[in-house]
Amino acid sequence: MAGYVVRRLLTAVPVLFGVTLITFLLMHFTAGNYVPGLQLDPNLKPSDIARIRANLGLDRPLVVQYLDWIGIGALFKAVGLAGVLGGSHNIDPGILEGNFGRSLIDGSPVLASVLGRLPNTLELTATAIVVGLALAVPVGVVSALRRGSRLDQFLTAASVAGFAVPQFWLGLLLILLFSVEFHAWGLPWLPSSGAVSPLGGGGVVDRLQHLALPATVLAFFYLSSWSRFVRSSMIETLSQDYVRTARAKGMSERRTVYVHALRNAVAPLVTLIGLELPGLVSGALVVEVVFGWPGIGLLAFQRALQYDYTTVMGITTFAAVLVVLGNLLADVLYAVIDPRVRYS
Amino acid sequence: MASLPAGSVRPGRGFWRESWDELRSNRAGMASAAVLCLLVAIALAAPAVSAVVTHYGPTQQDLGHAFEGPSRLHWLGTDELGRDTLTRLVYGARVSLGVGFLTVAIALTVGAAVGLLSGYYVGLLDDVLMRVVDVVLSVPPVFLYILMSILFRPNAITLAVIIASIGWAGLARLVRSEVLSLRSRDFIVATRSLGARDARLILRHVLPNALPVMIVAASLGLGQVVLIEAALDFLGLGIQAPTPSWGDMLSNAQVYFVHSTWLVVLPGSLIFLTVLAANVLGNAVRDAFDPRLRRF
Repeated sequence: MAGYVVRRLLTAVPVLFGVTLITFLLMHFTAGNYVPGLQLDPNLKPSDIARIRANLGLDRPLVVQYLDWIGIGALFKAVGLAGVLGGSHNIDPGILEGNFGRSLIDGSPVLASVLGRLPNTLELTATAIVVGLALAVPVGVVSALRRGSRLDQFLTAASVAGFAVPQFWLGLLLILLFSVEFHAWGLPWLPSSGAVSPLGGGGVVDRLQHLALPATVLAFFYLSSWSRFVRSSMIETLSQDYVRTARAKGMSERRTVYVHALRNAVAPLVTLIGLELPGLVSGALVVEVVFGWPGIGLLAFQRALQYDYTTVMGITTFAAVLVVLGNLLADVLYAVIDPRVRYS
Repeated sequence: MASLPAGSVRPGRGFWRESWDELRSNRAGMASAAVLCLLVAIALAAPAVSAVVTHYGPTQQDLGHAFEGPSRLHWLGTDELGRDTLTRLVYGARVSLGVGFLTVAIALTVGAAVGLLSGYYVGLLDDVLMRVVDVVLSVPPVFLYILMSILFRPNAITLAVIIASIGWAGLARLVRSEVLSLRSRDFIVATRSLGARDARLILRHVLPNALPVMIVAASLGLGQVVLIEAALDFLGLGIQAPTPSWGDMLSNAQVYFVHSTWLVVLPGSLIFLTVLAANVLGNAVRDAFDPRLRRF
């Protein structure tokens, strides 16, 4: 087991390097080296531009800039090789030092902004996963038990259709119905934006009301794909020999299905949920924008509109690191659940 | 062995022919294919539709007649600037389908090439390429799309390249696993022992057998790309105004949807329809290629 974890960690390290390298190169070769438009300022002499670039540490070799960006400087300093990277008077972040950069707009540290919004995003996606799961299992089981019936055909068609619905469209339609129309019809209506009400909000009920619509949109997608999986898994489980044995031994249908078959049918669902772990942080961006949900996705979007390259890049890198760690966590969980995985 | 009743056995007609027959008998799949063909035809004929059918350009404004409902002049009404909705929807099809097909083409080409090479020449090349694939698949696509679209100004072609720059990785993995299972099959081993060179083996023997997987992935991928592209347009980070696109129309309609609901319903329905058709067709093609599902 320890060997498996070590091997997984070893493969994760080059991936992390690659991910940070991609964002670094993307930024470096396109955005004018963090100072977009500098070359276009007519008041700056070429020597001024050169001096500014030197101050920002942009005239060092590319490799050195990259290493400094990921914060190897911290390691070098720790072993006493501080002078190697040529000074640290620059705005480049050191990721290993926890610095993901500063915003071009207001200089605020990216990591602080991200961590401030992270709980909101997690609240949204975690709720969506739970709701999606809670609905997908019954729907899938009912479909499997009444296989081939009109209900099954309808549910399967609904799942296929659900997969094709654009999230932003569904969000707008739900807002139209539950926020606008319900309000017009005098029914209790749901708020359409934000996580809490601006005045007097923050209570559990208030938060739940705001969470309802965005979580529904997200959960819809999970529901569509997972219910089909539960259905096919359940069908396969019900054809197993041990189910037939249980029935032959006189066990009630209810017990056979709900106590024995269900447990085994749902177990592989863990794999599917594990696949969603990496996307936990980034998957809700469109929903956050439509509903004004103050999460990481909305932050990235708003900064992007302001051309705040560094923040968007910092968020991308942070999310990518989370994805790699999420994959790592999922792999370790599989190894815990299924011992055969440890030898791959 | 008892003799089988007459007529219960028929000669095989070859894998591709039989797959095609299976697909043709799948009514949902054929309907989806028809829908997609219709959408493509409309998209290609957009200028003709604009000139002959609706007599409006996609960006032609008529501020005196904004927010009108369906009428004889404007079959699907007008939007907030008095532009004809039907014409804009037709031109929007060009964008969505154009970017969609182009992206799938690029991603499939690159992904299949990487997958074929990686799966065939296992070893160091495979390790390196798969690490690259891991890296590409680790970056959350949404953030990368946003980053790339503020770095480059996207037009249709750049947008297709941007989306394909992530999409190829999943296809590469898929093709690679198919090639890995193919390379140890008898016919490959036999052909190699007859002296066939690598290039010939890959192109003439491995690739055609990996095609079914690629075709299914392409069809399902088309649906995904249309959704992604529409979402980017909706966020304002894809095709820029004034070029009409379905996502952009939806984004504009957001502000006015309380009183002009059809402006929200129409573009969204078309996106939904396109993606649904692509998904159903993809599933139908996958079932058609599966020999275990053949109905004899």
